[in-house]
Amino acid sequence: MWRGLWTLVARAARGPRSPRPCTRQGSGAPAPGSGATVFALSSGQGRCGIAVIRTSGPASGQALRSLTAPRDLPPARKACLRLLSDPRSGEPLDRALVLWFPGPQSFTGEDCAEFHVHGGPAVVSGVLQALGSVPGLRPAEAGEFTRRAFAHGKLSLTEVEGLADLIHAETEAQRRQALRQLDGELSHLCRGWAETLTKALAHVEAYIDFGEDDNLEEGILDRADSEVRELEVALGAHLRDARRGQRLRSGAHVVVAGPPNAGKSSLVNLLSRKPVSIVSPEPGTTRDVLETPVDLAGFPALLSDTAGLREGVGPVEQEGVRRAQKRLEQADLILAVLDASDLASPSSCNFLDTAVIPAGAGSPNGRSQRLLLVLNKSDLLPAGGPDPSADLPPYLLLSCLTGEGLDGLLEALRKELAALCGDPSTGPPLLTRARHQHHLQGCLDALGHYKQAKDLALAAEALRVARGHLTRITGGGGTEEILDIIFQDFCVGK
Amino acid sequence: MFSFRGCGRWVAASLTKQHHPSSRFSGDSAAPWTPHFDVVVIGGGHAGTEAAAAAARCGSRTLLLTHRVDTIGQMSCNPSFGGIGKGHLMREVDALDGLCSRICDQSGVHYKVLNRRKGPAVWGLRAQIDRKLYKQNMQKEILNTPLLTVQEGAVEDLILAEPEPEHTGKYRVSGVVLVNGSTVYAESVVLTTGTFLRGMIVIGLEMHPAGRLGDQPSIGLAQTLEKLGFVVGRLKTGTPPRIAKESINFSILNKQTPDNPSIPFSFINETVWIKPEDQLPCYLTHTNPQVDEIVLENLHLNCHIKETTKGPRYCPSIESKVLRFPNRLHQVWLEPEGMDSDLIYPQGLSVTLPAELQEKMITCIRGLEKAKMIQPGYGVQYDYLDPRQITPSLETHLVQRLFFAGQINGTTGYEEAAAQGVIAGINASLRVRHKPPFVISRTEGYIGVLIDDLTTLGTNEPYRMFTSRAEFRLSLRPDNADSRLTFRGYKEAGCVSQQRYERATWMKSSLEEGISVLKSIEFPSSKWKNLIPEASISIGKSLPLSHI
Repeated sequence: MWRGLWTLVARAARGPRSPRPCTRQGSGAPAPGSGATVFALSSGQGRCGIAVIRTSGPASGQALRSLTAPRDLPPARKACLRLLSDPRSGEPLDRALVLWFPGPQSFTGEDCAEFHVHGGPAVVSGVLQALGSVPGLRPAEAGEFTRRAFAHGKLSLTEVEGLADLIHAETEAQRRQALRQLDGELSHLCRGWAETLTKALAHVEAYIDFGEDDNLEEGILDRADSEVRELEVALGAHLRDARRGQRLRSGAHVVVAGPPNAGKSSLVNLLSRKPVSIVSPEPGTTRDVLETPVDLAGFPALLSDTAGLREGVGPVEQEGVRRAQKRLEQADLILAVLDASDLASPSSCNFLDTAVIPAGAGSPNGRSQRLLLVLNKSDLLPAGGPDPSADLPPYLLLSCLTGEGLDGLLEALRKELAALCGDPSTGPPLLTRARHQHHLQGCLDALGHYKQAKDLALAAEALRVARGHLTRITGGGGTEEILDIIFQDFCVGK
Repeated sequence: MFSFRGCGRWVAASLTKQHHPSSRFSGDSAAPWTPHFDVVVIGGGHAGTEAAAAAARCGSRTLLLTHRVDTIGQMSCNPSFGGIGKGHLMREVDALDGLCSRICDQSGVHYKVLNRRKGPAVWGLRAQIDRKLYKQNMQKEILNTPLLTVQEGAVEDLILAEPEPEHTGKYRVSGVVLVNGSTVYAESVVLTTGTFLRGMIVIGLEMHPAGRLGDQPSIGLAQTLEKLGFVVGRLKTGTPPRIAKESINFSILNKQTPDNPSIPFSFINETVWIKPEDQLPCYLTHTNPQVDEIVLENLHLNCHIKETTKGPRYCPSIESKVLRFPNRLHQVWLEPEGMDSDLIYPQGLSVTLPAELQEKMITCIRGLEKAKMIQPGYGVQYDYLDPRQITPSLETHLVQRLFFAGQINGTTGYEEAAAQGVIAGINASLRVRHKPPFVISRTEGYIGVLIDDLTTLGTNEPYRMFTSRAEFRLSLRPDNADSRLTFRGYKEAGCVSQQRYERATWMKSSLEEGISVLKSIEFPSSKWKNLIPEASISIGKSLPLSHI
C-alpha cells in the first residue's frame, strides 16, 4: 500500500535544479564587532631609542601601505626597513622597521601592523598624526588592544590579568608569577575544574530533559554526585592556599615591631635602602606607622615601621602604640627587633612575653603569624654573644650600624616570604586576585547547596550557580556546551 | 467580488472592504481589483495556523494561504504534542491565547505528565494526539475565527515596495504573487513554509522533491528569497515507518498507562475531553544486535546518512544511533496514531533505508516479528533561512514587514513552530498598527529563550527546546506561564480574550491571597519543627517564622 504513495511523491515538481553553494557558515556567535581600526604608541612615553607604534583592525594593511607607499606590504611576520612618509604631504617621517601580522595570527587576532620608529617625540607624534589621517583609523582607548585580543579568544580573562601583572611586575617573583598566569596556567586549572563541573551538570541536565523518555545509562546521577564531591575537595584544598598569590601580587605585610629604641627604624631604612624613618637615639622617635614597598630577596613586601611598644607615655605616642598593635595583628610576617645589649630591661622582657612568645606558639585566633626575632646592635655585644640567661627563642644577630648579619637576615626573610607568597615557579598556580578567591569560594558554597537539594531542578540550579562562578574566572559558560556534552555522552532523542 | 483566476478557492470570505494598491514593483497583474489584507500568512502548518489566528485575534484582517485547506492542522511527524521543555512552550502559547493547547485538550488519546519526580519547574506536559481529531478540531477553529480568511494557493513571489525610511531594511513587502499569477496585497506577510523550501524526500538512494510526503515543494519562493540576499542553509530530518496495529504482538511488551486524572494543556480547561479509562496505552520495545547488523550492512544504500547536511542530534535516525552508540539497545515506543486509527508510530525508529530493508529491520524487533509496514520511514532535506537575519519580533532585517516563523527558521517540532507562529502573528499585526513590537525576553519565557537563541546565535542543526537552555528555569514553570504572559498579551498585544484575561486575573489574586494567608501564620521555630518534623528549619533565626 505504501508503494502507492510513491506516485504522489513522483508527481511533485521535478524541474532541473542547479547545484547551489550553501552560503551558511557554522553556527556560533558572529565574530565580535571589530569595525574600527585602532592605533597607539605601545612603548613608554618620552624620548627613547626606539618607540613602537601598533595598529589593529581591518584597515591595518591599508595604513601600513599608505605610510610605506609606494612599496607593497612586507612579508608576514618579517621585519623590513621602510621609509615612512606622511600619506597626505608625502613628506618623509622616519626610516623604520615595520612588521605586518595578518590576522588571526596576531596578538589581537585581527590584522596588525607595527612601526618601530626612532623614539624622538617629534617622530612619534608625526607617525601618529599620519596614521590618524588614514581613513578608518582612530586612536586606541586604554587597554583596547588587550580587549580585542580577549574578544577574539586570543587571551582568557586570567591571561589578561596575567598580562597586566607582567607589565606592572616590579620584582623577580612577581614577574615569574605573572608570566605563568599569562601562559594560562591558572586559566588551565580553572578550566579543568569548569570542565568537570560542566560535565556533572550536563549529566544532571540530561537526566532532567531525557531521563523519562530515553534509556540513559544507570547511575548517571551517582556519577555526577561523585564528580561534585571530588571537585569540592580540590577547590577546598586550593582555597586553603589562602592569600599566597595575592600577597605575591600586592606584597606581603611585613611589620617591624619592638620596644622603643631597639633600632626598628634603622632596620627599615637598611632594608629599604633609603631613609624612610627618622632615626635618633631618643626612645619614641617613631610615633605613627610608616609604610614603604620594598623588594625583599625578589619578593614584594610592604614594610611597616611602628612605634616602640611601651606604656605610660603621652597621648600621641599612646595612639602610635595602639596603631602599632593593630598593624601587628594584620601582619603576614613580624620582624621583632630587640636591643641585644639590653635584653634584661623591663620593656624588652615585656615585649618578649606579650608579642614574641605568643606568636611562636600560634596566635589564639588560629591565624598563623610568622615571626623573625632580630637582636640588633650586635656591635655592642661582648665577644661571647648575648646574655645566655635570657632564654630566647631562635634569633638572628644583626648590626644595623655595621651591616653585619644582614645577609643572614635576608636569607631568613627570603625563606619566610617564599613560604608566605609561594614559590611562583613551582607548585600549583596561585590565585593572584581577591576576585579569584571570591568566585572559588562562591563555587564551593553552591556545591554545598547541591548536596542538600531534594528537588532535582534545585540541585541543577546549584550546579549552574557554581559553574557561573568558575566561568567568571575562565570565561565561556554557555548552555550550548552542556548540550554538546549531553549529545556526545548519551544516545537521546526520539 | 474579486477577480481570482484559476485555482483560488475562498473558504471563508469575511472581507468587507479593499484598498487600491498605490505602489507595485513586480509581479503585478493587470487585475483592476486586487484583494488587500492587513496580514497574509503563507503556510497552514503549526506556525501558520497560530500566526494567522493570533493576527486575527489582534484585530487584523488576515488571509491564510495554504496549498490545501484539508492539510491544515496536519501532524506530519510524531502523533504527540508536548514533552519536557516543549510542554513549557505550549503553556506559553496558551497564555497568549494560542490554539494548540486547546486543540490538544480536545484531541488527545493518552495524557501523561513527564518528570513528575523531579520538581515542578521541569514537569513536561505531554499527550498522544489523534491525528484525525486534531486536524478536524484545528480546521474548525481556523475556519471559524473572525477576521480570518483561508484560501488555497501556492505563493510564487513577493511584491516589494520602497522601504519606510524610519525603519531599517532594503525593501518593504506589500503583497504576494500566487502561482496562477494573481496577486494579494498585504500590509505584513508571515512566511511559515516549513520544509517546503526546496524540500527533498529521501528513501534509500531515491530522492524526490517534496515538502511533506505527497505535497509539492516551493521552489519559486526559495529563489526569490535567495535573490533578495537571504542566507540559506540546509537541514535534514526524518520520520519512522508506520506499522499496522493489528500485526503487532502487544502482549509481550511493556505497557504504559496514561495519568489519572489527566492534566489539561490549557489554562482555561479544567479537564480534557476524554476520561483516563477510555485513553489508549503506549508500549515499549527495544532494538537488538540484528537491527545494528542490517543498518551497518546497508550503509551504501543510504544517501541520507552519507550526506553532510546537518540533522538533529536529539531526534537521531536509527542509523546514526547505531553508528554513534554501537552495541546498545535503543528504546522504541509504539504510539497510537488515533482512536480509530489502525496505525502505530514506532518512535525512535526514524530510518531512511530502502523500504524492503526497513520492513526486514522492523521484523527483527521484539513484538514486531509479524509487523506489517504500511508506510516506509523517510528523510527530508530542506532549506532554512539563517535566523540571525530576523529580529526578536521575527521580522526580517532585510525586508520590512516580512516575518518568518517555524521550521523555516531552523527549528524542529510542532511546539517550537507554534510558539514562533504566535509571536510572528502578533507582531505582523502590531506592525500594521504602528505599535511597538511584542518581544518576550529570556527571563520571561521559553519563547524568549527560543527566539533569542535563534536570532543571536543562529543554529546549524534543527533547534529543539530543552529546559537546560533556560537560564531562569526555576521561575519559568509550566504552572505560571499565565502570570508571566497573559497580562502582557492582553495589554500590549491585544491577542488575549477578555474571558482568559479575567480567568488569569482571578488566578493571580487567588494565589496572592493564599500567599498572604500563609505569610500571616507565624510560630516559633520549635513549633514548626513539631508540626512539620521533616522540614529543615534553620535554628539560627530567633524571630518567629511564617509559613513561607
